[in-house]
Parts: sequence; C-alpha cells; structure tokens
Amino acid sequence: MTGTGVPNGDMPNFPHLPLQDESAVTDADLAALLAGKRDVGPRLQPVADVLAALSTEPSAGELMGEARALAEFRRRTGVPVPLRLVRRGTAGVTSRLSTKVATGATAAAVLLGGAATAAFADALPAPIQRFAHDAIGAPYTPAATQHVPAHAKPVAPAGPLASRGMPKASAKPHAAGRHAKRHGQSQQGNGQGQGNVQGQGNGQGQGQGQQDNGQGTPRTQPSGVPHGQGQSDGQGQGRQGNGLGNPHAEGQYGDPHNPGQQGSPHPNPKPAPRHARPARHAPTMDT
Amino acid sequence: MKSEEFASLLVAAQGGGEPAFAQLWRDANPALLRYLRVIAPGAEEDIAAETWVQVVRGLRSFRGDEQAWRAWLFTTARRRAIDLARHRARRPEAPLDDVAVAQLPRTEDSAEVALEHLSTAAAIALVSGLPRLQAEVILLRVVAGLDTESVARLLQKSPGAVRVAAHRGLRRLAQLTADAGVTL
Repeated sequence: MTGTGVPNGDMPNFPHLPLQDESAVTDADLAALLAGKRDVGPRLQPVADVLAALSTEPSAGELMGEARALAEFRRRTGVPVPLRLVRRGTAGVTSRLSTKVATGATAAAVLLGGAATAAFADALPAPIQRFAHDAIGAPYTPAATQHVPAHAKPVAPAGPLASRGMPKASAKPHAAGRHAKRHGQSQQGNGQGQGNVQGQGNGQGQGQGQQDNGQGTPRTQPSGVPHGQGQSDGQGQGRQGNGLGNPHAEGQYGDPHNPGQQGSPHPNPKPAPRHARPARHAPTMDT
Repeated sequence: MKSEEFASLLVAAQGGGEPAFAQLWRDANPALLRYLRVIAPGAEEDIAAETWVQVVRGLRSFRGDEQAWRAWLFTTARRRAIDLARHRARRPEAPLDDVAVAQLPRTEDSAEVALEHLSTAAAIALVSGLPRLQAEVILLRVVAGLDTESVARLLQKSPGAVRVAAHRGLRRLAQLTADAGVTL
C-alpha cells in the first residue's frame, strides 16, 4: 500500500520511464564533436558517424561542374594580366580622366550658377557685385543708397496700371526706384522695370516695374519739386511694386506711393546733373 | 589545406592560373553542394554554379585567408539560395506531371553516385530534419569548416546563439539517430 492507501499494483500498465541521462552529454563533448573528434562516448557515437559522413571525400558527382567553372574562369580572366598592369591600362586611364573631367565640369557649372544667382540677388560683396554688374549686368546698388525709408511700405495698388499682384512686405519700391541704374534693373524685389523717363532737371523721374517678376513700363515721371528746381515732366503712373528700373532716367526720383500722379506738363529746361542726388523724402505732388 | 598552400593557390588563381583555381574549386565545391542540399534542396547545382560565377568575378579583389575565403564562398551561396527562394515564392512552378520519369534529365552515373555515397546522403537527410538554424550551424561548422565567429557573421547571429544552436542540433541529432536506429 502506498501512503495514500493505493495498492502498489494498482496501475500496472503505467510505463516506468527510465531516467534520461542528460548529464552524459556535455558541452565539452559537443564541442569536441564539432572540432572533429570522433572518439566520443557511446551515446554520441552515432552523431560522430553522421558528422564523419558529412565530411567524406567528394564523390565524382560533386566534381562534375568543374569544367563549367573553369570555362567561366577562363572567360573572365582571359589572358592573365597582373593587377598593376590592369590598373595602368588605357581604359582605366580614360575612364578616370572622363570621370575627372565630368566632375570638374559639374563643379564649375555649380559654382558659376551659384555665383550668377548670388550676383543677381545682389548678395555678393560690393566689389564683386560691381564686377558682376559690369560683366553680366547684375544689379548693383551702393551700400549707402540701400536705405529704405520708413514710409516705403507698399500700399494698395491704384490706377489702371496698378500691379496685378499684391505688394510683398519686403518690397522696397521707393529705394528701388530711386536707385535704378542704367540697366534698368532694380534689385529690390524681383521685378525689372524699364522706364522711358524723360523727366529732367531736378524732378525725379521714376520708373516702376510691376511687382512680382514683371516688367513695368512706367510712363512717367513726375513728382515732386525737390529743391525747388525744375519739375519733372510728363505724366506717369507708377505701378505699385518693387521691380523698378529706369535705364535712361536721370536724376530720377519719384513717389511710387502715388500712382497716377500728375506731373507738370512742362519739362524743366534745366536738366539736373546725371547723378544728382534726389531728395529722399518729401516728394510732393504736382496736382 | 595548409595556409601557405592556400595563399599560394589564391595568388596564382588571382593571376589567372587555371590549375590553381581548379584546385580551389575541387577543395570547396563538394562542401558547398552538401550545404546547399540542405538549405536549397533540388537547386544545389544551379546555385553552386552561380556562386562560382560570382566568385570568379570578385576573385581579383579578394583578400584574406582560407577561413575568409570559405566564409565568402558560403555567404555568396547562401545569398543566392535566399534569392532563389524568393524568386520561387513569387513565381511558383507547376509540377511536371505529364513528363515520364524516363524523360527526366539525369546524369549517367547518378545511380552509381547514390550507391557509393549512400552514407553521405543519409547524413544530409538526417541533418535536413533539424530546424533550419541548427542544420545550418552544424553544416557550416562541420562541412564548411568555419569557426563559431565566422558562422555567426555569416548567419548574422551572435556567437553565443551559434553555440547554443550547434549544441541543440547535436543533441537533437543524437536523439534522431537513437530513435531511428540509423547506421551509416
């Protein structure tokens, strides 16, 4: 009887599992098997035989692909040439030369393109910008004239030639119109203006290009009577915006905030000097 | 193969020496086929051929000892096997039910080879019954002759994981042989 009152022979069919002798196989034995040792214990002997069978001498079938491999080897290698000679081959030199030329051309293109972009953005230092101005017509604005008056904020366009786009906050029409150069390019904003200003004298002609990459054709000029000399002639309507240019204007100045302004119909018989400095503020209207 | 012998063979093969390359091929191709029979059964010949083509292409730039050479060889073969498995998964093939057995291509000495190396085939069949990782580890350690670190790099496992897989595979192999009463 067992302790719980069950007879010992109550479950005669229950198989008695033999204890598994796991301790007989150690990691050292397994490592020895992997290392190629075959004199292991009897429990691992079948495994050793399997591993030995995996490492037997190659059969003829396992060597049948030799001809194919050698053919590929011959095709790939061709005439045996030392590595150094291969590297000095003409093809290699040509390839490397072409690569260098292409790389240099690409770098030069990138540099020139970047320089041109910077030049037209007036982002270069003054001497270089001036050179770019002379060479490729990039805008050039002396640093002293880049001051933007406080009242140069764009206003709503008016008049029939008002800009089609809304003025940008960064637009500086006043300054741009004032300093437009003979190339008629203004660096304020993206516009380029061409003016046919004929205002002479101390009246300031003003050409205004339309804002946002447009080209304006200011018709006019007139504007104030700075210094009490001369009046600008013609009548113009300045477009609101920042792209201003006046390739032929002399002594130009105007008030872009007053589109549609009327100028005096009588030109000033005494033109002002070519680079007369206009009055900065107080452009008055000749109405 | 001794390390000096291997180094001289490799240099000669890289310089275009066909006998040297043939010897390298004869030394490694049987192990390669046995490994591929387990991981890509039925396609071992094709994968081995593609592997050697790739090896020939990069032979000049190879640098290393025999261990690195074998690691490169088996790594290339394993990648080709994985590529083939993916290709077959995308484009499954229909079985050739209409083709008679007599029409199937066979080599002249295939029966003879089978009889001669029955023990090798039985051993490969036993190892094929193991889980994939355990089978690969045992084959790469025993057949390819790679050490634990090389196998770990090849399988992208840690050396500890490789050791554990090898020991488990051997224990499992011992159990299989005991249960089946295999005599090779």
